[in-house]
Amino acid sequence: MRLSELWRTTTARLTLLYGLVFALGVPVLLGAVYLQSSIYLTQRIDIVLQAAADTLERVPRPELPRRIEEAEAINGSLAVFGLFSADGRWLAGNLTALPAGLPDDNKPKELPLTPRARTLRITVRSLPGGETLVVGRDINQLREMRAIIASASLWSGVTILVAGLGCGVALSIAPLRRLRSMQAAAQDIAAGNLKRRMPISRSGDELDVFADAVNYMMSEVERLMNEIKGATETIAHDLRTPLTRARAQLHRLQQAPEIGAADISRVVGEIDTVLERFRALLRISELEARERRAGFSRVDLSDIARQAVDLYQPLAESQGVNLSLGPLRGVMVEADPKLLFEAVSNLVDNAIKFSGASRGPGGRVVVSLGPDERPAQIVIDDNGPGIAEGERLAVLQRFYRSEDKRLIPGSGLGLSIVAAIVRLHRFELALQDLPVGLRAVIDCTDPTEGLAELPPER
Amino acid sequence: MSPRILVIEDDVDTSDEIAALLTTSGFETRRSLDGGEGLKLALSEPFDAITLDRILPGYDGLEVVSRLREAGRHTPVLMVSALGDVDDRVAGLRAGGDDYMIKPFAPVELLARLEVLLRRRSAGEPQLLLRVGDLELDLVSREARRGQRRIELLPREFKLLEYMMRNAGQMLSRRMIFEEVWEYYFDPGTNLIEVHVAKLRKKIDTPGEASLIRTERGSGYVLDAP
Repeated sequence: MRLSELWRTTTARLTLLYGLVFALGVPVLLGAVYLQSSIYLTQRIDIVLQAAADTLERVPRPELPRRIEEAEAINGSLAVFGLFSADGRWLAGNLTALPAGLPDDNKPKELPLTPRARTLRITVRSLPGGETLVVGRDINQLREMRAIIASASLWSGVTILVAGLGCGVALSIAPLRRLRSMQAAAQDIAAGNLKRRMPISRSGDELDVFADAVNYMMSEVERLMNEIKGATETIAHDLRTPLTRARAQLHRLQQAPEIGAADISRVVGEIDTVLERFRALLRISELEARERRAGFSRVDLSDIARQAVDLYQPLAESQGVNLSLGPLRGVMVEADPKLLFEAVSNLVDNAIKFSGASRGPGGRVVVSLGPDERPAQIVIDDNGPGIAEGERLAVLQRFYRSEDKRLIPGSGLGLSIVAAIVRLHRFELALQDLPVGLRAVIDCTDPTEGLAELPPER
Repeated sequence: MSPRILVIEDDVDTSDEIAALLTTSGFETRRSLDGGEGLKLALSEPFDAITLDRILPGYDGLEVVSRLREAGRHTPVLMVSALGDVDDRVAGLRAGGDDYMIKPFAPVELLARLEVLLRRRSAGEPQLLLRVGDLELDLVSREARRGQRRIELLPREFKLLEYMMRNAGQMLSRRMIFEEVWEYYFDPGTNLIEVHVAKLRKKIDTPGEASLIRTERGSGYVLDAP
């Protein structure tokens, strides 16, 4: 980790910026304090000086030297008094020489340095006898305060800057290290390891939020990639079988002395199987690419259930399966009626197929609307062989067909079409165990009702 | 005179195949490989029906059919498309197509759909009573009889029988039946329509009578006088 990198982190820059603001802010603050207090102190001193000068001015002339001495004794070394004759000769007080540049009005004034390097605040009165009365005060403390504040500003500024730099470096190390590990994770993912995830510190900071979002995205990407991979493999497998058979049959026909219509229709049958699968596959892609809610309207689930039972009744009868409707009531949902019907049809078709195949005349399929008003559901129960728990997720994927059921005709895509339709509606499809058989549930609650469309929170 | 069909299809192989199929079935065909030329032909020469690919160079299928309709031509149009979604079908029919068939299709299905279109065109006055052999379907009282025997039909069976009788002698594929009678456009699977037809057949034919509904293996059904 190089220093130049540390400096580029947001944390370091922010820390330094704050440091700079503070380093500049402290002198300003201290300067303001100094200015305010020096003005205040000067005013106080001026009031005192004026008062003292006023008092001494009113003292009768003969008593003045004595009063000045008394005042000196009371006020101590910081006070300055001086009485000078009209020609500038010293008469009384601890100020021995008349300083140059005295103000001629009654306003107090700050005088530059006297021989003893003192700064004085002075007020001057001209007495009726032509003498000059000087009352002053040593204000060196104000000067000293100014120096103290200046150096305090300087040192605090330097300290803050150094501390800021230090903090910036220190605070950037951790995020930079995390960034590094995220970068490593990203490179790993780019190199093909789709299982890799961004590290998360659990402190819930912005990097975690970001890493969370990336991880959610990666899970989706991984799921899709696996689906594509699985689909490609099964498509290749499922299409190869009928094509190989068709090819073998054609080859045999090529050698045969004469060709019967039955031979040809067998080959056509194999190719029809391939075409049927392609059609189902295209249907799924269409469904997945479809704009949601394009053909949506209010749909009564009991209508769908009734129509599906009507449509499949003869098929069920022909397989010896008892297909019936559960109790119905009006349940309205927002859906594409044709698509929802297609999904339910597929499920009913499957239920009849499997319960018929395994039970023969004892097969039973019930289409109902679920036990409760909410959530709105369409439930299809059968007493077929069910689906092993481990296979339930897989059957919803394209082309999956449970190994031992390969003898039952079909494209193997029915459930995938159902899953695609359900996904399009944002409904949910669940396959559950019954004591005997399988229950397929389409939960038609719109999960976005009252919810923002966000990826699931962790 | 044999019916004249215009085949507008940009894929040469498919076009060859359709043309060959139509010629052997006794149609006279003209072919066009792009939309603009096809439209010009359709406007300048009389045709009994048109098969129109949905996706074409130049004008696409939807545009060809809507321009044809704008020009006041009512030639039946069978749209043929790889786009099988309900929305695409609706778009095709709304633009003025009379039927919509999804690729890939079986040749017999194309023929069957064309025949149905041609027949619908020549149907003339609306009929109140359909008759095939000794089978009668009264569209006003909604009663079916075979000879003296009255046949009780459920509403859907009535609709199925009506469709088959209107197209008597014509092969109707399962998909065509499913689309016309149930108005659903997904793949109904092999057996579903089969059992509905079988049920109807059981009601129409009693033992001893000649069967009116014939199954064409692998493709569909024909209702015809024996």
